Amino acid sequence: MDSKIGFLVNPISGMGGRVGLKGTDGVLEEAVKLGAKPAASKKAEETLREYLNEYSKNDNVQWFTCSGEMGGEELKKAGVTKVEVVYSSLGKDTSSEDTKRACKTFLEKNVDLIIFCGGDGTARDVFEIVDKKTPILGIPSGVKMHSGVFGINTRAVAKMLHEFVNGRLTIGDAEIMDLDEDRYRKGEWNIQLFGIAKGIVEPTYVQVGKSCYESVSDDETKDELTEHIVDEIERYSDFLFLFGSGGTIDYIAHKMNLKNTLLGIDAIYNKKLIGKDLNEEGILRLLDKYSKAKVILSPIGAQGFILGRGNLQLSPCVIRKIGFDNIIVISTPSKLVSTPIIRVDTGDKELDHLFVENEFMMVVIGYRMSRVVKIQTNNF
Amino acid sequence: MKRNPAAFLKKEYDELVKNSFDWKLRILKTGSMPHSVVDGKEVIMLCSNNYLNLSNHPRLIKGAVDAAKKFGAGSGSVRAIAGTMELHMEVERKLAKFKRTESSLIYQTGFAANAGLIPQLVGKEDIIISDELNHGSIIDGVRLTKADRAVYKHRDMGELEKVLKDADKKYNRILIITDGVFSMDGDIAPVDQIVKLATEYGAMTYADDAHGEGVIGPDGRGIGAHFGIEGKIDVEMGTFSKAFGVVGGLIAGSQDLVNFAYNKSRTWLLSGSHPPAVAGAQLAAIDVLETEPQHVKNLWDNTKYFKKELNSMGFDTGHSETPITPVIVGESSKAKELSNRLYDEGVFALPIVFPMVARDKARIRTMMNAGLTKKDLDFALEKFEKLGKKLEII
Repeated sequence: MDSKIGFLVNPISGMGGRVGLKGTDGVLEEAVKLGAKPAASKKAEETLREYLNEYSKNDNVQWFTCSGEMGGEELKKAGVTKVEVVYSSLGKDTSSEDTKRACKTFLEKNVDLIIFCGGDGTARDVFEIVDKKTPILGIPSGVKMHSGVFGINTRAVAKMLHEFVNGRLTIGDAEIMDLDEDRYRKGEWNIQLFGIAKGIVEPTYVQVGKSCYESVSDDETKDELTEHIVDEIERYSDFLFLFGSGGTIDYIAHKMNLKNTLLGIDAIYNKKLIGKDLNEEGILRLLDKYSKAKVILSPIGAQGFILGRGNLQLSPCVIRKIGFDNIIVISTPSKLVSTPIIRVDTGDKELDHLFVENEFMMVVIGYRMSRVVKIQTNNF
Repeated sequence: MKRNPAAFLKKEYDELVKNSFDWKLRILKTGSMPHSVVDGKEVIMLCSNNYLNLSNHPRLIKGAVDAAKKFGAGSGSVRAIAGTMELHMEVERKLAKFKRTESSLIYQTGFAANAGLIPQLVGKEDIIISDELNHGSIIDGVRLTKADRAVYKHRDMGELEKVLKDADKKYNRILIITDGVFSMDGDIAPVDQIVKLATEYGAMTYADDAHGEGVIGPDGRGIGAHFGIEGKIDVEMGTFSKAFGVVGGLIAGSQDLVNFAYNKSRTWLLSGSHPPAVAGAQLAAIDVLETEPQHVKNLWDNTKYFKKELNSMGFDTGHSETPITPVIVGESSKAKELSNRLYDEGVFALPIVFPMVARDKARIRTMMNAGLTKKDLDFALEKFEKLGKKLEII
């Protein structure tokens, strides 16, 4: 049976970057005036060509797309067959409204995967409609690509599509992140976590017999991580536990029947939620009350940040109070496949240095199971 | 509701068959010989672990027969109660001498050694540090403990040291476990460096040498001898079922280790001891290794010739350092097809596919046998060349 792929290009994404703007949200006119040229179409076409040349030989794919530069043209130029245009753009200039409407149509067509070409802004628009209904995969072509739904480059996206069509990839969490652009233009830099989408990831395998392996679902590895964390909470019963943000930690909190927040920082003591969606001040107040604390972090987004993206509440002051040895980093093994290096960017150079001088961190990847992962600062 | 309590047996089996994950047993009409009859067809055997062809050696057969005639078919008990015969003790004495260690202990199988001993060596507050490519029986042994576990990248001593540094601060006992010879690629763990790091950080070392015992080191004395560090590895674990040509697991190390191991390993304590025929053959196997160096020499001569010829044909044989030679072909389907066609042409070697190895590194794994002649090898090589070209691998 054919795999049904929704294919969407945000033709104006990436334009701001070339003229020094961080994205095109709300400033397209200005960008064009400064001489910005569309880049997304080229990236989309490149991905399709790579897929056709390298991978598509025996793949059966039915494509659904949008008219003109929103996908149809790129598919045609690359020479893709079996294409159905299911959405026509509202006007001459496409907008985020077009992206959203196109995604609605893709959902109606029950596509197996939506591939979009754009940046974090486009990812947010797609996510707003698709939520967790269908996995999404991004061709990176915007200015900002912090979200975990992007392939590293066009070639990687082409390969992932091929692996997905052949049933060799599974569904996992992918964070949707973006710079708060209004605040940015006022001079503040803040990457927010907007939600957890479904992405496609390499499955985890365990050996179940001689020469015999079984793939393990993401949920099963998260169950193992839950057991591990519950054990730790019981073992350090006099510690306050801060739960960071992201899909893996959210899953653990749900399993523990905590009414946590997905995007914020929560505090747990004796397996009970005692603080929810805390800001820096709230966290510091709790740290004054409870002298011993541990914080659970998980790599977030395409670059694998554990601090400094989507969790600025965990400020340098908070981290110093908790102490380096009380940081527990957890991750599903499939997440580490896409982010083999974890990163910190606390905004405090000295603190960043403390992390990086160790060169590595132990990351918990299963029940009482950890592995070495390289750690770097933002300077990559 | 009345449930059908055994319905899952068929259901799960059918599922395995549907996905081609079931084992289709290949039946040998002969012994495990260099030329065996497998499913009614005579083939050159390139996938047994009978590296030295000792399972067919007259002295081993005689050892088994004589012991059975003298002491009977079974041993009557577990070792701990009334199943330890003088013969069993003699094997252990002889083995320790062969391994140049203070003492040794025979387990029922290699799996029983790992599953029985590893969980006793570490517990809560301890950590096992393991190579990411370790064999399944180690992994099961590790699962039975309450200890924490950390894996390091395959043979990466830099990562191992990082884990040790971290573990040194947090844990009580530290145990480093590695395969001696890795069974998928045929490469060897840098056990000398592992022992050095272990000494520095106060960690125990455990080497599973199932594929190295009887194969590497002078006279096939295994991983410790290979690096000239006999007696320095805390636990040298091995097996009698591969190069030794019989069956049974073994550990070699200090007297303290052996005393501890047989009092604590549940697999050892709760399974019947080897029948006299097995012990008799084990004894003869060690004897043969000590007095007939030609078998190990033949194995390596065959290995070098086979590898060299494969490489000159243009096959990628990876970075094997042992008689396990992978012939890397790429996609899983191609490896399966090559294996099937080789069998049709009279060469028996199994494919190893994803996820046991990377997706684009599917392979035929060949295991050399000292009993194969140059004529046999040329026959096999000719088939590899012919099919390799046909399938566009070379």
